[in-house]
Amino acid sequence: MQQARPQEKNKLRPKNLNLFTIRLPINALVSILHRAAGMVLFLMLPIILLAFQRSVSSQSTYTALVEILNAWFIKLMLIGLAWAFFHHFFAGIRHLMQDIHWMTSLQKARFSGRVVLWLVGFAVAIFALVIW
Amino acid sequence: MLIQLLTNKYPGMRLWLSQRLSAVIMAIYIVFLIALLIIQQPVGFDAWHVFVSPAWFKLTTFLFFVSLFSHAWLGVRDVLKDYIFNPDLRNFLQIIVDVLLLVYLVWVSVILWNI
Repeated sequence: MQQARPQEKNKLRPKNLNLFTIRLPINALVSILHRAAGMVLFLMLPIILLAFQRSVSSQSTYTALVEILNAWFIKLMLIGLAWAFFHHFFAGIRHLMQDIHWMTSLQKARFSGRVVLWLVGFAVAIFALVIW
Repeated sequence: MLIQLLTNKYPGMRLWLSQRLSAVIMAIYIVFLIALLIIQQPVGFDAWHVFVSPAWFKLTTFLFFVSLFSHAWLGVRDVLKDYIFNPDLRNFLQIIVDVLLLVYLVWVSVILWNI
């Protein structure tokens, strides 16, 4: 029997271009969200630093900053930022624990992944209640 | 022995460890910061100014940001290596990130110095 050449082999492979039919396992989900949240935090750094600077510079810049942060759409963005922080925080602690070989079996990792998602949801909800 | 292992034989381990160390430093700082904010509740400019003025606050905050920038440098580097396949574009973006993080470091120093 003739061996299929690489090009012919590729044609036989199943193609699945619809990404919505792929369901991420929870470990993959927590992991990719950790990366996405990290990027969000990195991209938001200049805004965070600017806000910190305005808050400590003077009475007037502080008041102006509070005024801005009180707008409802800014509060929504703050909640998004809080999500990025809490997810990166809790998922990061989970990764650190896995680094020291704690809860690394598939079953336990799935469990800790669910714990992380619940903790993040809980923390973001408290944050939202406090700022609103 | 451990130090030798981390530095000479496996240079990548040093970066790996620095990312974990900076993560732990930031986690401890954040937990204490949130606890202090809840306890003292520095609402208003005067209370906030008193909150951020102590030398130990500035020092630990500076340490936090140094950790953050080294952590972010490695994290963004990994992301660029994973998704940007054109080496010229990747190097270009990496230089932008490097410069940005250095600017942030100077910026944070200026902010903390002027409190």
